[in-house]
Amino acid sequence: MMSKHQHLYVVIEHEDGIPVPVSLEMLGEARRLIDDFNKKYSSDEKVVALVLGHNVRKLCEELIFYGADAVIYADSPELRYRRNLIDTKVISQIARNREIVAEFSGISDFVKPRYMFFGADSIGRHLSSTVLAELESGLASDINKLVIEDLEIKHEHKTKGQPMIYEKTLEMYRPDFSGFLWTTILCLDNRNPAIEREYHPQACSIIPGVFAPIEPDKSRRGVIVDYVPEFEERDLQVRIIDRKIVKSAVDFDSHKAVISFGKGIKDSPEQNIKLVSELAKEIDAEVGISLPISKKPFPVSQGINSTYMIPDRVIGTSGRKVAPLLYIAVGISGAMQHIAGMKESGFIVAINPDENSPIRDECDIFIRGRMEDVIPLLIEELKKQRPTVEVKK
Amino acid sequence: LATTTKDLNVAVIVKLEPDFSEGNVSYNADGTLNRAETKSILGPHSAIASNAAFYAKVKYGARVAVGTMGPPIAESALQQAQLLCDADELHLYSDRIFAGADTLATAEVLKAGVSKVEGGKVDIVFSGHRASDGETGQTGPQTAWKLGYTFLGNVIDYDVDLQSRLVRARRLISLQGFYDVIEEVEAPLPVFISTDPSYKAFFNTVSQRLAFERYQKEAKSRAENYKQFLKVLNTQQLGINPKLVGLPGSPTIVYKVERIPKAKASRKAEVIDGTNRDLIARVAANMYEVLEGMVIK
Repeated sequence: MMSKHQHLYVVIEHEDGIPVPVSLEMLGEARRLIDDFNKKYSSDEKVVALVLGHNVRKLCEELIFYGADAVIYADSPELRYRRNLIDTKVISQIARNREIVAEFSGISDFVKPRYMFFGADSIGRHLSSTVLAELESGLASDINKLVIEDLEIKHEHKTKGQPMIYEKTLEMYRPDFSGFLWTTILCLDNRNPAIEREYHPQACSIIPGVFAPIEPDKSRRGVIVDYVPEFEERDLQVRIIDRKIVKSAVDFDSHKAVISFGKGIKDSPEQNIKLVSELAKEIDAEVGISLPISKKPFPVSQGINSTYMIPDRVIGTSGRKVAPLLYIAVGISGAMQHIAGMKESGFIVAINPDENSPIRDECDIFIRGRMEDVIPLLIEELKKQRPTVEVKK
Repeated sequence: LATTTKDLNVAVIVKLEPDFSEGNVSYNADGTLNRAETKSILGPHSAIASNAAFYAKVKYGARVAVGTMGPPIAESALQQAQLLCDADELHLYSDRIFAGADTLATAEVLKAGVSKVEGGKVDIVFSGHRASDGETGQTGPQTAWKLGYTFLGNVIDYDVDLQSRLVRARRLISLQGFYDVIEEVEAPLPVFISTDPSYKAFFNTVSQRLAFERYQKEAKSRAENYKQFLKVLNTQQLGINPKLVGLPGSPTIVYKVERIPKAKASRKAEVIDGTNRDLIARVAANMYEVLEGMVIK
């Protein structure tokens, strides 16, 4: 049976043709989900990558190796850099375009994609919001697990309290702000006659670093469909005047060591953060934080506040996933959401006064003690030993 | 006091959120937030958005309106925002049927609310980066889209050319696995700005600093009498289709909430006494070895 809603569209992010990692991660997860889907429902739905850019056909070819069945490629000099307004319009045009779909899956009564993925980063987060506002459907953010199932739903509004089967429903799991709870979000049509309404695509933004890309396979075949976007003159008045590349204020990737602190700094937050940053300097480590710290639970000076207590430094499911050679967790109890972000690290040292903290099960060396006592001692010893063992950059 | 000019109208959308600061926040035994025992405040990102609106007031004499969707208690967020941005108007969009809304249904209410300010002639709408409880960061851009305003996210500073009616903003974009980009963008009014957590306002001239102090004083006295500035608007007054808001207007539902399962212990830690200098010296040596790429067994 043909459906008005078919296929999984993945919005690809790239920098001049080089994919941002989450793009390939999303494609990998899309591939796995759709393979299972096609087997389970004996169907032939596709993983469709959307690329907006200029002179990046090579990227489109690569995306097929990474799992796309089809790539819809909108090429224009106007699309070289991301601008929310025109990107939203182009993606929405594509999402509603039946002719494009005919290029890779034959004639159908396609109206809109069944599912849609975006990266949960500073571009995808906003783009997903505006695209789904335009397509008037539901969006879940910061997802780290996906399942497709037929579900029986009984909902006051959606089904007017009657049990109904929703087929092929995307279960979108998102860790909540506490780091302890997982919320499953569904995007469902209103079948209640009083408010009847169709909601597709079922869409989400996906946390970078959660899913694995598939091994690229150069023998994979797919279709690249060129799409010629149309722009409105007024929209092009939004202009990018200048673009400066800056070193990330927070740069976990190019450091061999990461040192993170959590609520254990509480006895003297200002002093303790300074201690942590001193230790970080000593071993050239980047500084991370646990999620609760980004909520600014302690009063500290403005400088410390804007440098350290910021979302960009959060390590865990609601932040970044890191895997440095050396990870030092200071005053971090070890909530699951934090562990998920650092457990792949090479060697893990925890500094904590409470030997029963869960972090003890996740580290190689557990230093029992108050950070106020341990860190100065550690810094002293690191300084002493520095001349004999020089850290190469 | 200089009267505010009609040249620029701005609006701020704010949210009342749990206060996560130590002493005000309360957690249940299982680590989840105890909402009943936790105090509420103007969200920290909403406060940044309010500061951005205040900049428009100080620099361009803008008229400022603040709006929020929520139950009556949410007016305290409006009061706190007024203290920050010297708002001329406070709007509370409040109706039982708004409850349980997802971001799209919330954006529908906020769009209607902003359209009520100055007969819909708002040049810039500000919102925060994300709420510290919901954390989706979707409501701002979705409201922008429904309003038909150009959305500018992650804005770290901005200026307006009142003659040409153009905004110039700098945005901070992190490209995962690459680098950060500071992008300068120009857009015709109206625009919707969501402020980056690192947003900063610069007041360079003496007259700006004087205006800053003047408006700040005014804000203080206004916030003490904030009810004078407050309008409460319901579905009917906002002219909203009830099918598009609250639970009936939400495409998404929360299907289930569960505890994130605890993984099995993955490492066997050696526990050492943090006051023992010899042991710490060994840890320091281990650290250098690890950083040199040697494997510790």
